[in-house]
Amino acid sequence: MTNPNPVSRRSLLRLAGYSAGSLLVGGAGLTLLESVVGQATEPLNQRVEEWLFRPQTLVPEFSPDEIEPNALIVNSFRGTPVLDPATFQLTIDGEVERPVTLDLRAIQTMPMTSMIIRHVCVEGWAAIVQWGGVSLRSLLALVQPKPEARYVYFYSADGYYDSWDMASVVHPQTILAYEKNGTPLPIENGAPLRLASPIKLGYKQSKWVTRISLTSTLMAQRGYWEDLGYEWFAGL
Amino acid sequence: MTNATNWANNLPRKPLQSFPTKLFHWINVASLAVMMMSGLQIYNANPVFGGRSGWHILWPFTMGGWLAGGRHLHFAAMNVFALNLLAYGVYVIATRRWRHRFVGQNDLNALNQSRNPKRRVYAWHRIAYTAIIPILLGAIVTGIGMYKPAQFPWIAEALGGWFALRVMHLMTVPAVVGFAIMHSILALKAGGDRLVESMLWDGILTEEPYDQP
Repeated sequence: MTNPNPVSRRSLLRLAGYSAGSLLVGGAGLTLLESVVGQATEPLNQRVEEWLFRPQTLVPEFSPDEIEPNALIVNSFRGTPVLDPATFQLTIDGEVERPVTLDLRAIQTMPMTSMIIRHVCVEGWAAIVQWGGVSLRSLLALVQPKPEARYVYFYSADGYYDSWDMASVVHPQTILAYEKNGTPLPIENGAPLRLASPIKLGYKQSKWVTRISLTSTLMAQRGYWEDLGYEWFAGL
Repeated sequence: MTNATNWANNLPRKPLQSFPTKLFHWINVASLAVMMMSGLQIYNANPVFGGRSGWHILWPFTMGGWLAGGRHLHFAAMNVFALNLLAYGVYVIATRRWRHRFVGQNDLNALNQSRNPKRRVYAWHRIAYTAIIPILLGAIVTGIGMYKPAQFPWIAEALGGWFALRVMHLMTVPAVVGFAIMHSILALKAGGDRLVESMLWDGILTEEPYDQP
């Protein structure tokens, strides 16, 4: 057919018009409703995420030559706090039998866990990083969590706060790191102690952690970004 | 009257597309639109090409307003989109539509040999709408690879790393947009208004619209 078909052309324009109109109206409408949609669907998604999560299964690691030293972007919400490693103390309290306060030397004499994992940011970028530190699992063994402890809060020197589910905290690759890519952790990456784990998004991995508190319930304040609207579970 | 309308008027009166097919098509169109626009909102947090200084997608093509909003809509619509595609797959197999509704050797033969332009358009149209299925399945696989990299690490590994995974997932958008344009044009060429309306609202909003005078 060499003759253009006027009916089809008109139909095509009409289809395109309907589509563009629906996209504009639908896009604006759903943008206004995003938090309602999120609150409606997040519990279901979280159930699937928790079902997929294997608390004892190690996430495969990478080899040293795969480390991407320049890919890790520093995202801090309120600048870099000043911490003196000599006087630094980590407190672990809450729903535990034996609350403790540890200095850096005590933490660094505990068995070190080293891992080369992919650090994934909520923004979409990722970086393969080596982290070295002490596993949360061995820190919690020191304080003996009470049976009712289900959540773990992490408080940071810069005012950042976050909370995790217990199963993710005691995953063998969830650590408080003091080493990055084979060298002492730089201050802008969270020195002296930061969370590192291949099973949570980056915003769950608090830097400059000074206090760990176990709770039986999730409080109204669940985390800095979570309280602004981000997903709480944020599992990978 | 043009050839296309004469041809359309000579077709049987029953709508060409079944009600389930219409439903699958509508849910697919709507959920895919939400997936793409909310996906571009997420993309804007850190553009795949160029990072934060890279090109950002403008407002009318995004949905959700900010990164968390884009993620809320993306992760709500993904369930609708994937379950609809799964239901369609079951339907296509259960009703044996897979045997004759998708591109086959006869269409390739027609492209090589047929001098009937209508038959050739029809063959191209079947190629187009068959090709969208692997594109959509690929979007789901690459999406799972990014959503759950700790649970499905082999996806990023098999596709050549994180950057390749992001690029492939993003490429769904130009592929689907290009497909939607070609699909609309070819559908109108192959079956005219009658085919297009049979996929959209014929038999739902209207009763027997093609009764001949």
